Amino acid sequence: MLFRLLRLILLLALVVSAPMSLDAAAQGLGQAPAGLVADQQKILQDLTTKTDNLEKKIQQDAEEDSSLVDIRLQLEELSRQSLNSALAFRTRLGEINSRLEQLGAAPAAGQPPEPDIVSGERQALVSEKAEINAVISQAQALSIRISGLIDKIGNMRSELFRNLLTKRYVLSDALSPQVFSDAQDEYTNLYKAVSSWLSFAFKFKFQAILAATFVALGLALVLLVGGRRLFGRVFEADPSNQDPSYLSRLSVAFWSTLLPTLAVAAFLGSTIFFFNYYNVLRGDIGLFLNALATAIGVVFCVNRLTNAALEPRLPNWRLIPVESGPARWLVRLATAMAVVISVNTFLSVINDKMGSPLSLTIARSFVATIVVGIILILMAMLRPFKARDGSWRPWPAWLRYTALALGLFTIVAALLGYIGLALFVSLQVVVTGTALITAYIGFLSAQAIGEEGAFANTTVGRWLSAKSSYEDTALDQLGLVVSVAINVMIVLVFLPLILLMWGFQPGDIQAWAYKLATGINIGSVTISVTGILSGIVVFIIGYFLTRWFQGWLDGSVMARGKVDTGVRNSIRLAVGYAGVALAALVGISAAGIDLSSLALVAGALSLGIGFGLQNVVSNFVSGLILLAERPFKVGDWIVAGDVSGTVKKISVRATEIETFQRQSVILPNSNLINNAVGNWTHRNKLGRIDIKVGVAYGSDVKQVHAVLLEIARSHPMVLKNPEPFVLFSNFGPAALEFEIRVFLADVMNGNIAQNDIRFAVLEKFSSEHIEMPSTPRAVVEAHKPKAWPTDDDKIEADFAEQEQIKAEAEAEKKRLVKSRKTKKPDPD
Amino acid sequence: MWKSLVAAVALVAAIGSVHAASAVNKDAETRTLVVTEGGSKTDLALAGGETVEFCPNGCFVTLPNGDLEALTGSETIEISGGVARIK
Repeated sequence: MLFRLLRLILLLALVVSAPMSLDAAAQGLGQAPAGLVADQQKILQDLTTKTDNLEKKIQQDAEEDSSLVDIRLQLEELSRQSLNSALAFRTRLGEINSRLEQLGAAPAAGQPPEPDIVSGERQALVSEKAEINAVISQAQALSIRISGLIDKIGNMRSELFRNLLTKRYVLSDALSPQVFSDAQDEYTNLYKAVSSWLSFAFKFKFQAILAATFVALGLALVLLVGGRRLFGRVFEADPSNQDPSYLSRLSVAFWSTLLPTLAVAAFLGSTIFFFNYYNVLRGDIGLFLNALATAIGVVFCVNRLTNAALEPRLPNWRLIPVESGPARWLVRLATAMAVVISVNTFLSVINDKMGSPLSLTIARSFVATIVVGIILILMAMLRPFKARDGSWRPWPAWLRYTALALGLFTIVAALLGYIGLALFVSLQVVVTGTALITAYIGFLSAQAIGEEGAFANTTVGRWLSAKSSYEDTALDQLGLVVSVAINVMIVLVFLPLILLMWGFQPGDIQAWAYKLATGINIGSVTISVTGILSGIVVFIIGYFLTRWFQGWLDGSVMARGKVDTGVRNSIRLAVGYAGVALAALVGISAAGIDLSSLALVAGALSLGIGFGLQNVVSNFVSGLILLAERPFKVGDWIVAGDVSGTVKKISVRATEIETFQRQSVILPNSNLINNAVGNWTHRNKLGRIDIKVGVAYGSDVKQVHAVLLEIARSHPMVLKNPEPFVLFSNFGPAALEFEIRVFLADVMNGNIAQNDIRFAVLEKFSSEHIEMPSTPRAVVEAHKPKAWPTDDDKIEADFAEQEQIKAEAEAEKKRLVKSRKTKKPDPD
Repeated sequence: MWKSLVAAVALVAAIGSVHAASAVNKDAETRTLVVTEGGSKTDLALAGGETVEFCPNGCFVTLPNGDLEALTGSETIEISGGVARIK
């Protein structure tokens, strides 16, 4: 009503402004393409008529579900078209708006009037805009109306479905002897139709039929043979294999179901396609053939699937561990169920097209549902497992009782006359059951792939390990990822599939998925899956970019620029921390989490955090200071308190030091900042070592001094400058004490130099007869040589053995020396 | 291994990302768009500086100046100084 009023007003405005706009049109800037408004108006009128027709059709076909679905699809298309026709105005509207902006607002009452030309153009533009707005609002109204119709169709369909499930038929009518004569009539009709078509086809189209059949057969053969050649290894179960892995059993089951089914589908599909192509089909025969092909395809697929999963002949290849006899029965029962359902569906198509009486339809559905119910009960009563003592055990209770309940429910519903409900349940049992079993096998295969080492043994895994540099552990992780991906995919594929079968509309599912993806509002918080996912992805990408940049800066730029190792390390770490922090911030904001709302909480918490995490924060800050100040770098020999060793890693909280006994010591950074740290190799590796020597009272100290100085000077590692120095340090209680002080270029070599010098001192002293006193502590008994043995043979054998051990040790040592670089001993 | 994984995830994310029209209000005060989507009209109030995603499958929008526009669901509406522009 409001809309109509608006339209009236707009129309009036148009009429009033028309003369002005004519004037203005002469000098208007960028006129509308001629007739844009008229064109779209015409299109919209056309769409409106179509909508009217469809609305009428909805009333006519209120009882037919399939035609309602069809109407719904057409309405959706109309809605899109109306939107598109409104879209056509976008550029023109943009032009008008920008021109209006250039012209500016009309002068107010007190201001000087503007030239006529300007006001005329403004008038023209405004009226054109009004015109366009009117057309768009027409389109909007149409789309609202179409949405209303679509909603109405949804309501009608659910009402129909409810009716189907709750409608009760009177069975005594349907199951009277009349049915048999009806069936007889119908059979005669069908026979006539098919035989007349067959005679027509053989008389006039025989060659076409032959050609079509052969082409279809050829296609199916190519698919089957090609598939066998390609996947032959995984396609067929190998009876000689006693213990096939679960994965290979699964892949055999999968491929041996998929390939033959595809071949049969290709054969049936192409046969019908070529029959259509050569115009062999007439009247309803095409529909019958389609239904027949679907029925054959479904039966074949179910049979292949149960055969592949149960393998009655090859117990080793069975997916579900039932015994052979029950497996055979299960295959037969499942196939029988598929046959019953398919035949029923096929006959329903024929009934529809032949216009058969309702009683026939009811009788057919009644028989089918009763048979399906009986098969379900039989399946439930089957005892498929064997206990250790040889007795047969039934299915697990929940499975048995579910199947029993479903079967009984179907039969009882059919007997009470609720044929629609019974048919619906039996159809769902077959179709949903098949989907669920397939999904379950998929889950099992995902589990099998996820097991340790399983992925590396698959074809893809072998190919990857041959073609790429992936390690075994990487392949294993990849297997885990693949298994998770398969699980997700199964949920994504089968959940909508089952929902679709249960009568939900694709539009509903899409809307749910969209809502889930873009965000669910809980209070004022919006949780959105895509937001969180994109946040994570952005963070991961940022993280790897940072790592790459770090590597590039360190490896290419700073290494070439001969930057000091310590500086390199500091810069690398700082860049890494900054990059990760940045990536985290960007990721959080990409996830749609508003940081400003966190600021308040952070402010309140920071005081508590400050107290609680005092140590951590102080270590963190100390770490930053260490990176900036660089009192030591990685590889330095430092002494901090009791700990002495090489620095391995400086991270943000603690520094890792490896002592010379190869013990890793993690020192909190604040210790290194607050306490004194000795660094032997800070600016250079120059260092002094002191060696104490005592000589006996009465020795010639001048000579001793000269000898020691000589030894110190002659050592190749000792620096000439600063000069080595021998200190006469003390008149000790037992000896005259000297100290050799030498400087080394690399203090890390201290032990070698000390050793050399001490050996040299002893040698020199003994040749110069200088005595070194020692305080005797304990009396040590010297070893006496063993008595001369008498058994020559034994000695010879022992000697040979010892020689051999020695030779082996020598060889071992040589090997070790060869394999390992000789390393200098650690300084203490 | 991780690199391939990241590449795969990025690809999936790029393919799977949902497109919708978005509206940005660059003004300080609240602006209102009237969105007609799926048969119902709703007022979409945008606080100052707010960005909102809406209309995944096409809709009609009444802009603050009274203009009616159709959207396919991939546009960005930018409101500044009370004037909306479609990009």
